[in-house]
Amino acid sequence: MREFLVFLPLTIAYFALKSTLFAGFPLPDIPLIIVFYMAYRRAALEGVLSAFAFGYLDDAFSGGIIGTTSFALVIIFLAVHQLSKLVQFTTPAIRAAGILAAALVKGALMYYVLTVTNVDVYFLSRVFLDAIVTGLLAPAVIALLQKLNAFAAPHKFKDSEN
Amino acid sequence: MRTERNIYSFLRKNHLTIVSLLLALFSLHLALTGKREFERGYLLKELFSYTLAPAGRVALGAENAVKDVWSGYIALMGVKDDNAALTKTVLALRDENNRLKEEIRLNERLRALVDYKDSLPYYTTGAAIIGFNMERWTRTIVIDKGAESGMMRDRAVIAPQGIVGRTLDVQGRTSRVLLATDLRSNIDVIVERTRVKGVVEGNGTDGLILKYVRQVDDVQVGDRIMTSGLSGVFPKGLIAGEVVKIEKGGDNFFKHIEVRPSVDIGKIEEVLVLREDTFHN
Repeated sequence: MREFLVFLPLTIAYFALKSTLFAGFPLPDIPLIIVFYMAYRRAALEGVLSAFAFGYLDDAFSGGIIGTTSFALVIIFLAVHQLSKLVQFTTPAIRAAGILAAALVKGALMYYVLTVTNVDVYFLSRVFLDAIVTGLLAPAVIALLQKLNAFAAPHKFKDSEN
Repeated sequence: MRTERNIYSFLRKNHLTIVSLLLALFSLHLALTGKREFERGYLLKELFSYTLAPAGRVALGAENAVKDVWSGYIALMGVKDDNAALTKTVLALRDENNRLKEEIRLNERLRALVDYKDSLPYYTTGAAIIGFNMERWTRTIVIDKGAESGMMRDRAVIAPQGIVGRTLDVQGRTSRVLLATDLRSNIDVIVERTRVKGVVEGNGTDGLILKYVRQVDDVQVGDRIMTSGLSGVFPKGLIAGEVVKIEKGGDNFFKHIEVRPSVDIGKIEEVLVLREDTFHN
């Protein structure tokens, strides 16, 4: 719950900026990075609920079909959680690659849902651009998330977070 | 007893996967059944109308503040003290001049909008655009008028240049407008020159596709496309765009026609929303 409350203002600020100052700019997908971070680091019920909530917020803010993004984020959370048992996302390069792949999967899942809902989607160029931007900036965003998380966390003598 | 323990153990071990799958299914249910809903997410959307709109204004205000700090302070660093006051005065006058120029431009835009509004045979309400959402597959804007100003869902949103879109969600103080270029947008239209009927749909970027025009129908590049008045949302005769490309369709029956929208959404700041009693006028 703490992490959700820490990341929620960041996500809302991101949505507000995305629809005002940076409308139309390819920004890194902050909610996706947060979900990825929560999934590989310490997957818990809070993470999957956060994934659903951030997806719902994304759809509500952008005026898209409600449920599309939350579906994609929840599936990505589950996939990253399973994958993290096999792969250690410890270095920036692996995190960037993982998030780039997750962004592509998110695009594909949303494409699938929109196609099923009879929305005539037939291009994917923006998905690749967003995935590249998100993947490139992901290590920096994750570092920021770690700092935010450490700032809000109760102080301990030994902090084993990576 | 042992079976119950096994089930409990299984659920405990896989609770994350089970909850994830349930939430994914729930999301899918929302997406697949949510196209016609009007109350789903009402509370959140209502909350956003009270939080996002001020946040948007704060963000835009912050941009201006940063510009002011840049032009009013950092640009003055290094200037000798005896010139500081004079430079400051010049800058203040320049800012004032810019502000006045901006006000003149705003005045001209509003005058054009009012002239256009007066020329229309419909009742309309003016609104300012306060947010854009140009996502991968979504094209919406947020305007500063909501239910408190009499806004309703599925009302035509227009500009002097032509159609903009229709209201999608109406909250207390803001409304979200589905642009004509959104993939979910369908508008009944006619070709002005030949009166051929069709439907324009958004292509998800910044263009429109004119559909259901047969190979034998007479449509040429440069033809103007206008609303037919059949959809019930847009009255007849509003300009939707201009034909820019015609190709033979993949099914050999319909043409594939690309239309450039008459309204460049990136260049307008105010719109008119047709009111409920429009068609009674």
